[in-house]
Amino acid sequence: MTAHKQGSKTTSRHYLRYHIETKDAPPLTSLPPQFRVKHLNNCRDAGECAEVCIYEVHKMMERKISEPIEDQCRGCFLCYLRCPENAISLQINPEFERLGNSYFTPERIETIYFEAGTGRVPVSGTGYRGPFAGKGFDGMWFDFSEIVRPTRDGIHGREYISTSVDLGRKLPYLEFAKDKKLFSNNPRNIEIPVPMILDAPLVCGSKENLQLALAKAATELETFAIIDAREYTSNLLRYSSNLIPRIDVDDLDKFWDLIGLSRIVEVDFKHDHDSKDQVEKIRARNPSALISFRLPCNEKSPETVEALAKMGGDIAHCYVKDGLVEKDPDVVKDAMRSVHLHLVDKSMRDSVTLVYGGGIAEAAHVPKSIILGADAVSVGLAYQIALGCKVCYGEEHAADCTIGVEDEKVEQTTQRIVNLMGSWRDQLLEVLGGMGLREVRRQRGEIGRAMFHEDLEERIFGDGE
Amino acid sequence: MQKQSLSMMPAARPAPKIYQEKTENKIERYEVIIDRAKCTTCGACIEACVAYMGSAQINYDAFKKANGYFRVNNPNSSCTGCMDCVKRCQPGALSVQFSPQYLALGDPRWTGGLILSTWEQAETGKTSGGYEHRIGNSGGGFDRIRFEFELSKEPTRDDESSHEMDTSIVLNKRKDRRPEIEIPIPVYGGDMSFGSVSLNVMLSRAMAAKAWNTFTSTGEGGYPDELISFKDHVITQVATGHFGVNAETIKRARIVVLKYAQGAKPGLGGHLLADKVTPEVAKIREVVPNISLFSPFPFHNVYSVEDHYRHVQLFKDINPQALVSVKVSTPTDVDMVAIGSYYAGANILQIDGGCGGTGAAPDIAKKNIAMPIEYAIPIVHNYLVREGVRDEITIMASGGIRTAFDVAKAIALGSDGAVIGTSELVALGCKRCENCERGRGCPSGIATTDPILMHSINPGWGSQRIINMYRSWKQQWDHILTKLSLENIRELRPKDEVKFKKGCFNHLVHLDHLR
Repeated sequence: MTAHKQGSKTTSRHYLRYHIETKDAPPLTSLPPQFRVKHLNNCRDAGECAEVCIYEVHKMMERKISEPIEDQCRGCFLCYLRCPENAISLQINPEFERLGNSYFTPERIETIYFEAGTGRVPVSGTGYRGPFAGKGFDGMWFDFSEIVRPTRDGIHGREYISTSVDLGRKLPYLEFAKDKKLFSNNPRNIEIPVPMILDAPLVCGSKENLQLALAKAATELETFAIIDAREYTSNLLRYSSNLIPRIDVDDLDKFWDLIGLSRIVEVDFKHDHDSKDQVEKIRARNPSALISFRLPCNEKSPETVEALAKMGGDIAHCYVKDGLVEKDPDVVKDAMRSVHLHLVDKSMRDSVTLVYGGGIAEAAHVPKSIILGADAVSVGLAYQIALGCKVCYGEEHAADCTIGVEDEKVEQTTQRIVNLMGSWRDQLLEVLGGMGLREVRRQRGEIGRAMFHEDLEERIFGDGE
Repeated sequence: MQKQSLSMMPAARPAPKIYQEKTENKIERYEVIIDRAKCTTCGACIEACVAYMGSAQINYDAFKKANGYFRVNNPNSSCTGCMDCVKRCQPGALSVQFSPQYLALGDPRWTGGLILSTWEQAETGKTSGGYEHRIGNSGGGFDRIRFEFELSKEPTRDDESSHEMDTSIVLNKRKDRRPEIEIPIPVYGGDMSFGSVSLNVMLSRAMAAKAWNTFTSTGEGGYPDELISFKDHVITQVATGHFGVNAETIKRARIVVLKYAQGAKPGLGGHLLADKVTPEVAKIREVVPNISLFSPFPFHNVYSVEDHYRHVQLFKDINPQALVSVKVSTPTDVDMVAIGSYYAGANILQIDGGCGGTGAAPDIAKKNIAMPIEYAIPIVHNYLVREGVRDEITIMASGGIRTAFDVAKAIALGSDGAVIGTSELVALGCKRCENCERGRGCPSGIATTDPILMHSINPGWGSQRIINMYRSWKQQWDHILTKLSLENIRELRPKDEVKFKKGCFNHLVHLDHLR
């Protein structure tokens, strides 16, 4: 397949598919191995373990068994079972178990490392190994097309499945004046080829090079990265068309220039401020910029988003703090859905774009958020984990945060972010293909194409339907 | 009508046999820790252990008082964690905990205990009661469902029942002048292709299927010549890649399975990585070696129920004696799919739940696409009952069915039997290290095409392991039927719709809904 980063822009002579160029990018800090393998004192260097191990954990060096290479162990237990002296100890590495937290589990972190390192789709044998179901995203299953509905074959490139989404409001219909001239003012739309934008990095560590890498990755992916306006440095200016400055409402005047050169501007929503006033201010400075309001997702957000849309906000960036998702993963399910359904009720779903963020920890969470009603997803913590974040939410490990990127590692960091998004897009294609969908836009709000754990439990094992 | 049943076939009750081939260290479940500072070397622990276990878990030789202190943990002990030694230890010097090896083995679905118990059953043909052999730890589905008798206080041993019960099922109920085919146990082997597993594994499974007078399946990878002598016990699969499918193999089979979807990768089709396409695999699949093979999804000649009917009839025409099994996975409208397959003329409907096994599938598909089998069985069963056709089609459940108790629960929820894949591989020594997709991948020599690795499974040894496992399962089914006072396993399947009341239905209890 021809790789071209400007893929979505079709030229007259060449049809170029959107394609994310991935290549191996080693981690900035390595993960602890999952298994702890040791040769006990009674080892007599029989070499049986070296013979049976196909992962090359055990090796014979000059008739002596060398230290096991734990990174390569997959826990097949063959060395343990076959050792004639029973001199091998194989156990879960406690350091590995301590990674992350109950939501960003060690397994999820390991998967993100794999995806960011290789850009590939994680593939494995045997059945699904994890828990039956769970809260939040884990209690959702996708429907797929069976027998009589054709599916799409996107992943192997035989059919084109679009993952593009539009940011900005869309008109429900066109209005014409009496002289048959178009009366409607066509609003500005920005199409991004993946339904994912990169959220601003959380605190900890130095951010300058990280933001540079983020900007580069967003440019390569043709999507957007959100950058705190106060940290917007001059070396980011050349990527400004793929950056969204996040501006505090009180600072709008301070970042006058930044508003002028950005295609999207994000403002933190505050109840005690007049949002209409802000919209007018930004419009006055840059009439073509899309205005995104960032607001926490809670029971008030449906009405708030409605009001913002009426005032002229183009995008509602609803987020749930990752820490809250960890405490109660179920919040993600209601959060997006209530906003989406409220807007559908008011017949104004297309007058605002919903971007959802929070608790996005694996590839499946992107299509799941979209099914719950989002147009696109903002990825925050996941890419930072790929760069070595320890998921402290800016607290306990802040002092020894390893995420600071050295000058010579900017390329590698960029590539890891690109790889992660590439892998996630490919996995999105798998889901869309399985569901028989041609484009991700059609997946939005398609609740009927998903199955929910509690619904099924009630339907099958509950008292009557 | 031809009736092929037990009376015409040699009785299939293969006896368990211990077939020792490899000596391996045991993965112990428990580890005894002794605090030497507190130990008074009284020896009460040895007595406790011997009295209750019959086999010591403490190494006698290492126990001589001349040494001044006790040594514990015979590497091949069979501690069951009864804690009697701890209770009897006056100075409180002993403690028992899970061994680190045991904790590192397995996952929530296939816990370490379940793997070890399957190995034990494969080795001895029975359960010792030392490991959990009924459920895993996934926190839902079969793992939260119990038979009512399991909740009673009095402890039961699954092998206590001495009577042989009738556990046979009939695979064709359509009365369409095709053979009925009765199998003495309510399970047959799942589809695993040559290429995804080695020839020796296929042979082991076929030999075991023959001994039990049931079936195994070729999967989508063609029909190796070595299996022809087992042709009465081999199902052949037709999937979208049509690898190695020809009129000859269809005519040879007593059951042809049309794979429309697979639970592990529903809607995605199969994918055999180039690594595994060795010259032998390529020859049988009639392709070029060392390139990745796709079976696309779906059958592009089947886009409607009418197409589906014609597709089923095509294979019925090629082999007028064969039963056609339709293998589908579990979308939201699995009931519609089921009724469609009934009208298309399927004899068997195999529903493959979302957690099923695979040689290689994207993790995102395994976890997130299609519903678990525990929900799909009642949905399909209820719909077919309502349509009045439930007794004309056989439903086989698969995808996440690991134990004899899972099979019985699946039947009590509305299926006729189950299709078993992963459990057979675990019986052959699989530890579920998940690396099945590469050619040299499998350390146990199961899911491999490597000419050296494949020899770690000897078909004689392998088949005996599978036979033993089913022997033990048979005993557990007999036990369940005795406990429930049922004549045969067909009576366990509900006659009417599945309707749980207060978490109970048809001898089953769902712990999360129990009130």
